[in-house]
Amino acid sequence: MEGFFPQVVFSIFGVPVRDTVVSTWIMMTMVVGLAVVIGRRRPTALEMLVDFLNDTISDILRRPAEPYLPLLGALAIFIAVANIISVVPFLVSPTRDINTPAALALVVFFSVHYFGIRSQGVVGYFKDLATPVYVLPLEIVGQLSRSLSLAVRLFGNIVSTDLIVAVIFALVPLFVPLPLVGFSMFTGLLQAYIFTALATVYIGAGLEASEPVSSKSSSKEGGK
Amino acid sequence: MTELDPGTLITLITILVSGIGIVLGTAVPAIVEGRAVVKALEGMTRQPDVAGQLRTTLLIAMALLESTAIYVLLILLVLIFANPLLDRFF
Repeated sequence: MEGFFPQVVFSIFGVPVRDTVVSTWIMMTMVVGLAVVIGRRRPTALEMLVDFLNDTISDILRRPAEPYLPLLGALAIFIAVANIISVVPFLVSPTRDINTPAALALVVFFSVHYFGIRSQGVVGYFKDLATPVYVLPLEIVGQLSRSLSLAVRLFGNIVSTDLIVAVIFALVPLFVPLPLVGFSMFTGLLQAYIFTALATVYIGAGLEASEPVSSKSSSKEGGK
Repeated sequence: MTELDPGTLITLITILVSGIGIVLGTAVPAIVEGRAVVKALEGMTRQPDVAGQLRTTLLIAMALLESTAIYVLLILLVLIFANPLLDRFF
C-alpha cells in the first residue's frame, strides 16, 4: 500500500517533486510531440478532434464555443490523457495526486469569473451574482463547494479505480486485472468528459444573463 | 472485558465505521443513480430526437450524484490511512 500513494522522488531547491509531477512532465512531452507529429502527417485527425470538442462544448453552452475552446479543450485532452497514462509502465496518473485535480479546479474557478467579467463587465457580473442580495452568501458557498467537488470527484474516481486494480493485482497478478484496467481506462475517459462538461456548465452559468455575447464574440473572432 | 487503550479503541471504531460507511455511502447513490437512468431511458424511448441532449444531462447529473459516494470514499480513506484522531494519542 505504501507504493500506491504519490512518493517524493527528488527535490529541487528544497521543493519536493513527487512521481506524479515527473509523470506529468513526461505526459506533456508525449502529448505535445504527438500533436506536432500528427499535425504534420495527418492534420485531418487533429481537425476531427477539435471538431468533436467544439461540437460537444457548443452543445452544452448553446452558443459558439470559440472563445472557450482553448481552455476547455485543453482541459479535456489533458485529463483524458492523464487518466489513462497509468497503463504505460513506470508512469502513474497525475490525477492520482489530489494536487493535480485541485489545480485544475482552481483554473476552472478563476476562469468562470474571468469569462463572466469579460462578457458582462465587472459591475454587471457581480450584480448578476447578487441579484437578490440575500442569495450572495449561498452563491459564494456554491462557487467554493463546486470547485471542491470538481477536484475531489476526479481524484476520488481515479484513486478508487486504481485502488481496485492494485488490490486485484496483489491477489491475482496475471490476466485477471486486465478487465479492471479496461474499466479504469473507461472511467478515466468518462471523468475527463464529465470534468469538461461541468466546467462548461459553470462557465455557461457565469455568462447566463447576457444573450448577445454570442454574436459579439463571434464578430470579434471574425475581426481578428 | 479488559480495558482498551484509546488507540486500539479508535482503530476499532474506524474499521467499523469504514465498513458501514462504504456500504451506505455507495448503496444510496447507486439506488438514486439507477432511478435517474430509468427515467432518462424512458424519456429517450419516448422521444428519440432529444436522446443526445438527455444523455449529456444524464451524465452530468450522474456525476453530481456520484460525487456523494466519492465524498464518503475520501473521508474513509482519510480515516483509514491518515487518521487525525490517532495522532492525538501517539
